[in-house]
Amino acid sequence: MRDSDATAHATADERARRIETQLSRAGLGLVPRMGRRVSDRLFDRLLHLLTIRHPRAFTAFRAMPDACLLIEPVDTPMAFLLRVGPNLSLRALRRGAAAPGDVGGVTADAVVRGPYAQLLDLLEGRIDGDALFFRRELTIVGDTALILALRNTLDGEEMDLLADAMSFAGPLAHALPVLRRNAGSILDRLDAARRLLPSPLRRGLARVEARLSGLAPAPEA
Amino acid sequence: MTPSLTLGPVLFNWPVDRWRDFYARIADEAPVDTVILGEIVCFKRAPFFATAMDAVVDRLTAAGKTVWLASPILVGSERELAAMRDLTAADGDDAVPTGATLIEANDMGALARLAGRPHAVGPMINLYNEATLAWLAGRGAVSVSLPAELPAASVATLAKAGCDLGVAVEVQVWGRAPLAISARCYHARAHGLHKDGCQYVCGNDPDGLPVATMDGQPFLTVNGTQTLSHGCLCLAAELEALAAMGVGRFRLSPHAVDMVRVAEAFRAVLDGRREGRAVAAELDGLIDAPLVNGFFHDTAGARHVGGAARFQSGKEKPLSQKDKGSMS
Amino acid sequence: MDGFELICPAGTPAALRAAVDAGADAVYLGFRDETNARNFPGLNFTREDVAEAVAYAHARKVEVFVAINTYPQAGGLGPWRRAVDDAARLKVDAVILADLGLLDYAAGRHPDLRLHLSVQASAANADAIQLYREAFGVRRVVLPRVLTVPEIARLNAQVDVETEVFVFGGLCPMAEGRCSLSSYATGLSPNKQGVCSPASHVRYEPRGAALASTLGDFTINVFGADEPAGYPTLCKGRFVARDTPAYLFEEPTSLNAMDLLPDLKAAGVRALKIEGRQRGKAYIGAVVRAYREALDAFAAGRPVPRSADLQAMVEGGAQTTGAYKRAWR
Repeated sequence: MRDSDATAHATADERARRIETQLSRAGLGLVPRMGRRVSDRLFDRLLHLLTIRHPRAFTAFRAMPDACLLIEPVDTPMAFLLRVGPNLSLRALRRGAAAPGDVGGVTADAVVRGPYAQLLDLLEGRIDGDALFFRRELTIVGDTALILALRNTLDGEEMDLLADAMSFAGPLAHALPVLRRNAGSILDRLDAARRLLPSPLRRGLARVEARLSGLAPAPEA
Repeated sequence: MTPSLTLGPVLFNWPVDRWRDFYARIADEAPVDTVILGEIVCFKRAPFFATAMDAVVDRLTAAGKTVWLASPILVGSERELAAMRDLTAADGDDAVPTGATLIEANDMGALARLAGRPHAVGPMINLYNEATLAWLAGRGAVSVSLPAELPAASVATLAKAGCDLGVAVEVQVWGRAPLAISARCYHARAHGLHKDGCQYVCGNDPDGLPVATMDGQPFLTVNGTQTLSHGCLCLAAELEALAAMGVGRFRLSPHAVDMVRVAEAFRAVLDGRREGRAVAAELDGLIDAPLVNGFFHDTAGARHVGGAARFQSGKEKPLSQKDKGSMS
Repeated sequence: MDGFELICPAGTPAALRAAVDAGADAVYLGFRDETNARNFPGLNFTREDVAEAVAYAHARKVEVFVAINTYPQAGGLGPWRRAVDDAARLKVDAVILADLGLLDYAAGRHPDLRLHLSVQASAANADAIQLYREAFGVRRVVLPRVLTVPEIARLNAQVDVETEVFVFGGLCPMAEGRCSLSSYATGLSPNKQGVCSPASHVRYEPRGAALASTLGDFTINVFGADEPAGYPTLCKGRFVARDTPAYLFEEPTSLNAMDLLPDLKAAGVRALKIEGRQRGKAYIGAVVRAYREALDAFAAGRPVPRSADLQAMVEGGAQTTGAYKRAWR
């Protein structure tokens, strides 16, 4: 009895996670439209907030020698450049432009590449990075020690990156807990709706999702 | 103290006749002071050499050499333990030929057995600092041979501590560096065999089985359960510095080459008759491997620092400070 | 007779909490420097972290062991001695040491501090173990991964010290603490700096669809397009001997001795140890939980559950019983 409860619970959690991941990935699709200055300010605020919530990790990042890590979720249009050391900073940039070696005038010492969902899980310590790497779902280029130091430091935190990120995003802050509670039924309804749709519409829905998450080019406005 | 040359035990599985002849020539021609005997790598090989041991000890002592016996590196099984106990027995057991003056311990069990009696500590005992050296001296160690991976700064500190404690300090100056020991036999494994049915395939490789990277770069040497470097450790050019630190004993590790020539070359440097650097250049290529001295210079053991000798790899740039430092 | 004690790794405070919460009997950890054998970037505990770890663990009746298991540097014993002093001051339940000089120091300076012998000391026979027992009062020995189960049983019959063995995680095919392979390729060694095949010397290099991993000046492996990859730990690399590229020393597998619980119990083993202070808290939580369930089932005489879900966690996706079975040799 207890076991099956636990299973049902886990499944609801997993579903909530899937929605969160999809939504946040879609949100990232909006970042390029914000303009550089708005986006930079947004990530400055996020970094500031993370520093307050996770002083151990972010103090450690500041204590590291100056270095840049490029984080590339391969299924989003965006990449992130994390600079550690005394000038700690976090920036979003268009992924295509981000070749290792030279990123917006900054040299990336290391690059981690992988699917967005896995990278997010990794940042929050939900999955084991080594296992992902063994399965070749993650690619690592450059300074392996830098990547390991970041991974180990982040893994030492209990981090809920999405909750942290959304907590300064006004109304969205209230949306997340509601979403997490109701994820199971929302997904059920979505799935049911999808099954009922005629196939041309289903394909249309897929296109909308793709556009939302930034995988397909947005129609010219 | 007069610097002295030691010939370490033969690590490879040579046919017993070759082994006996090798030591006969050492007795007659090699200017070494101490010869250490014993099969220290694999218990399965030991019976072959046991048959010739007494004769070899006699031959060497008759030639004026000091003879020590070395204990095995890895003692795990009951039979290995029994053999080690026989070797280290206090009452002059049959296992110890008369004429052999000291036992060199290469595992902690042997060290336990030898406590309270004069003994030597071999390079397979983890001796990294002066506190450990003092503890060993307190239990009867009269001579210690340092692990190959120790850098110059550690050697200097230990040599000084050895002088203060009255313990002779030895450093390996020639031959492939021992890097690891295992319960698994890699020689057998490379032949698709199990250790228990190994067919003594290690006997095919008198200087060990070459191991290369997948790019074809020579890297390591397998000797049964032991792994050695591919590069030949050579500290001929560093002999003067070692002596100045207070190191009094210099170990040559035998290979299937003209070891009399190697011993003569090192003796000439110790006697001040030849330049260490010139000797290193002469010995380069004697075995089919580059000379390496990286451990002593606090960098990768596979590297060669300074001098005219060849580098092991194509990438000849020295490690940068960033590469060298430990991570923090 | 008591059940096995389950000894679990922690590289970070979060991993420690994960291990405690998942059912560890004791957690072992290291200070954030070269005094421990997992001196990896971003890993390990400050003095304050250890104080908090001890408070968290002790409140839940879990013990904390501190590994100070590298070999102090000649002329620089300070950091190692301070580590022992601080561990004693922070009221940890045991320190895990390897160096003779440091054991001598700890036994003399802190007679009430419980001493365990690290696997890095590689005490593989009864005489060696008795030496550590008689000279320093060592209470427990972590056995090197070179012994078969029958050898462990014979050994336990001859010594009056508790023994602890590794049951899960990375497997050294070499006798631990007696290996300079990493040092030969990089200049940094487990014994001196507490690192094996250090990340600072590791590079991954795409070669078409293949992926090469290098350590220092040496290529340790080349993975085909569909092959699972591995960290280039030197002894788990692929090398060429007799013209054949192969995993000469050890395949990229993970030790899992869960099937051997009855044998290890009969052999008189007191504690079971999980390797992996360098692994993430997700891994540690999952492995500790699986072993807790298995040990509880075993203690109650129930069948030990299968640990299929651990398969995904391990290197190469493959598991072995390692040296515990003679066939490994």
